[in-house]
Amino acid sequence: MVDVNNLNVKFGEKHVVHDVSFTVDKGEIIGLFGISGAGKTTIVRVLTCQIEKKHWTGNVMVTGLSPEKKSNHSKILSNIGYVPQLELLNLYFELDPMVNVEVFTSTYGMNKKRAKETAEELFKILDIPRDTWKKRVEKMSGGEKKRLSMAIGLIHNPDVLFLDEPTTGVDASKRYDILSYLKKLNQKLNTTMFIITHDLESALICDKVAILKDGRLLEFDTSQNLISSLPSEGLIARFTIEDLNEKLIAFIKKFPSIRRIIRVGNEAIEVLMENFEENLPKLIEYMVDNNITITSMSKDIATFRRYFQIRIQKEEEEESSLKEVKVIRK
Amino acid sequence: MYLGGLIRKEFGRIRSDKRTLILLFVIPVILIFVFGLTTGGGLTKFFTSAIITLDDMPTYDNFPSNSSEYDDTFISIMQYNTSSWGFHSYYNATDLEEYDNAFQNCYDILRSGDIDIIIVLPRNFSESVENKTNPVLIYHIDASDPAAITAIEVAIQEPIALFRAETDMIANFTIMVPYLEFDVPFWESAILNYALPLILPIIILGTTMNLTSLSIVSEGPLPRMLITPTAKREIILSKLIANSVIMLLQSTEIFVLTAFFGLYSLGSLFYFFLVLIMIGFSGICIGLFISALSPTEQSANQMYLIMFIIIILFSGSILPLGDIEGGMQIFMNMLPLSNAVPLITDITLKGLPLNLTSLFWLNLSSSIYVILAYIIYMFKKLEV
Ligand SMILES: Nc1ncnc2c1ncn2[C@@H]1O[C@H](COP(=O)(O)OP(=O)(O)OP(=O)(O)O)[C@@H](O)[C@H]1O
Ligand SMILES: [Mg+2]
Repeated sequence: MVDVNNLNVKFGEKHVVHDVSFTVDKGEIIGLFGISGAGKTTIVRVLTCQIEKKHWTGNVMVTGLSPEKKSNHSKILSNIGYVPQLELLNLYFELDPMVNVEVFTSTYGMNKKRAKETAEELFKILDIPRDTWKKRVEKMSGGEKKRLSMAIGLIHNPDVLFLDEPTTGVDASKRYDILSYLKKLNQKLNTTMFIITHDLESALICDKVAILKDGRLLEFDTSQNLISSLPSEGLIARFTIEDLNEKLIAFIKKFPSIRRIIRVGNEAIEVLMENFEENLPKLIEYMVDNNITITSMSKDIATFRRYFQIRIQKEEEEESSLKEVKVIRK
Repeated sequence: MYLGGLIRKEFGRIRSDKRTLILLFVIPVILIFVFGLTTGGGLTKFFTSAIITLDDMPTYDNFPSNSSEYDDTFISIMQYNTSSWGFHSYYNATDLEEYDNAFQNCYDILRSGDIDIIIVLPRNFSESVENKTNPVLIYHIDASDPAAITAIEVAIQEPIALFRAETDMIANFTIMVPYLEFDVPFWESAILNYALPLILPIIILGTTMNLTSLSIVSEGPLPRMLITPTAKREIILSKLIANSVIMLLQSTEIFVLTAFFGLYSLGSLFYFFLVLIMIGFSGICIGLFISALSPTEQSANQMYLIMFIIIILFSGSILPLGDIEGGMQIFMNMLPLSNAVPLITDITLKGLPLNLTSLFWLNLSSSIYVILAYIIYMFKKLEV
C-alpha cells in the first residue's frame, strides 16, 4: 500500500527527514510516534502530495503511485483520505453533515446515491445519531464532530487514511472510544491507517509503530516486538522507596545486571535488568542490605509508553556520547 | 471538474451568514426607500427669487399686437402662481450698465441669504418665445449648498411648466447654469435620481465586497480541500460563480426597487441594469482579492474598510479631482467607482449610450483583481 525508501526531506539547508524507509501492507494500522519536530507531519505531507518534489528525494509509492509525478497527484488523492487534527479544518460547521458529505464526495466525482449510502453506513458504524444528520455541524457535540470528521475522511472509501492527532485534546475516557472506533472501521473496511500522534496509548490499536526522532526512523515494528527487545523481554520491577533521591538512584544503578533505571514518580522507580527472574531477589537483598527502605514493589511488563521513553533516552545518551567523542577529537 | 458540490457549499456558507445577507438584501431596500421618500415627487422646499430682465422685445409691425412682453408673464407667474417659490424683486435692465447695477444688487441680496436664486431673462426672451425657438433662462445660485443646487433645479421646473402652459409654448427652455447639465422632471423623485449614480454603486460595491472578502480566509477546511482531487482553480471558480449568482439577485432587487421608487432614466434601462451587474461583479472580484491576500479574518475586515474608503474617496464624486492624467489616471481606473459613477450618470440622467471606455476599464479592473486573487491564492501556503 505504502512504500517509502530512503526518503530525505530538506527545506533549504534544513534537513528535516533522514533516510527513512518502511513498508506498509493493506489493512495495517501504523502509528507514527515522535516528540514535536520529529518529522511526522512532514513524512505524511510527502505521502499526501503536499510537498513539492524539489524538497525531497527517495522512492515513495502510495497505492502503487509515486507522488513524485504531478500527474499522479489527483489519483493518489482519490485513493487516500485525511482527517486533520481539528474538526474545523475538516468540516463546514455552518452546513449539516449530509451537505458536508455532498461537498466532499463531489470532489471525488462520486454519484449522490452512492455518497448517501456510504455516509449512512459510516454514520451507523460511528454512532452518529440520525437526528443530527440534517442539523448544522456546529450544533453537534465534540465527540460527534470528531466522529463525523472520521466519516468524512473515509467517505470515498480510500485505501489509506491519514489521521493527525486523532486523540489529542480529548479526555481519557473518550480517547479509548475513538481508538476503538478506528479499530472497528479498520476491521470493517480494511483501510490502511496512518495515525500521527503524541498519545502513546494509541499504540494499543496499531499493528506497527514507527518511532521518529530528529527526522530519523529509530524503529519500525510491532509494539510487542519492540517491548520484547528490551532486556528480559521487557519485564520491569517497580519500587517505591522512601526518601528517594538522585544519589540513591546512582547507588542502586551500581548493581551489576541493571540495564536502566527510570524515575517514574517522586518516590518511584522502574528497573530493567538482565536475567530478571534470577536477579530480582538479589537486587532486593542488595537494597535491603544497604538500608534502602522499600515501601512497595511490583513486577510488570513494560508498556509501549515505557518502551518509547527508554528508546528516546537511549538515543539521547548515544548522541551526547558521540558529541563528547567529537569534542575530545578536537 | 466537479463544481456542483463546491458551488453548493458556497451557497450553503452564504446562506448561513445572516449578517451578510441582511447587508446584501435589506440595506439597499432601506436606503432606496429613504432616498425615494425624502422627495417622493413633491417639492418641499420654498425658494425666493429675484429676477433681472433684459428683455427688449421690439414691437415690429409684423408681430401681432397681443405679443406682450413674455418676461412680464414669467415674472407674474413667479410672483403669484407657483407653490414652491417666493418672490423678492425684479429689475428691468435695458443696457449693460443697468444690468451691472441690478446684478450687483441681487448678488448682495443672494449673499445675505434673502434670496436663493437670481434669474436672468435675456434680451431675446420674448422674441424666442414668439418665434418658437428655445428661450434661454439663466440663473445664478449660491453654489455653496449642493443640496440646494439640486432642489432648485427641480423647483425651477414648476414655473417653467406653468409658463409653457400659459403661452402654449411648444419649444422647451434652455436653462443655463454652468455646472448643471442635466435635469430630472419635477414629477420624478429628484433626490433619489440625483443620488442614484453615487449611492447605488456604493451600496452594491460595499455589500458585494463584504460578501466575498471573508470567503477565502474564513473557510477552515480550505487547505483540506487540497488533499482531495479538487484543483485550486475550481475552488476560486466555484466562489466566483456562487457569489455572482447572489449578486445577480441583489442587482435585480435594486433595479426593481429603484424603478418602484421613481427611477428616471433618459437612457436604456437595460444598460442601467448591465452596469449594476458589472459593479457587483467588480465588488466580488475585489472581495476575493482581499480574502486571498489577508492572513486572518480581522485583517480582511481592516483591508475591506481601507479599500472601500479609498474607492469612495477616489470615485471622482467626493474629491474634486477633475481631469487627472498619467499614473493617477491608471490608479483611478483600477478603482471601480471612478468609472461606475459616470456610467450611471450618463445613462440615467443624460440619456447617453454606454460609455465603452468606462465599461472597459471597469471590467478590466475586475479581471485584474480576480486574476490577482487567483495568483495569490495559488502561492498561498495552505497547510492542514
Ligand atoms: N515548510 C517547511 N520549511 C522549513 N522547515 C520545515 C517546514 N515544514 C517543517 N519544517 C521543520 O521540519 C521539522 C519537522 O516538522 P514536522 O512538522 O514534520 O514535525 P512533527 O513531528 O509533525 O511535530 P509535531 O508533533 O509538533 O507536529 C521541524 O523542525 C519543522 O520546523
Ligand atoms: Mg505534526
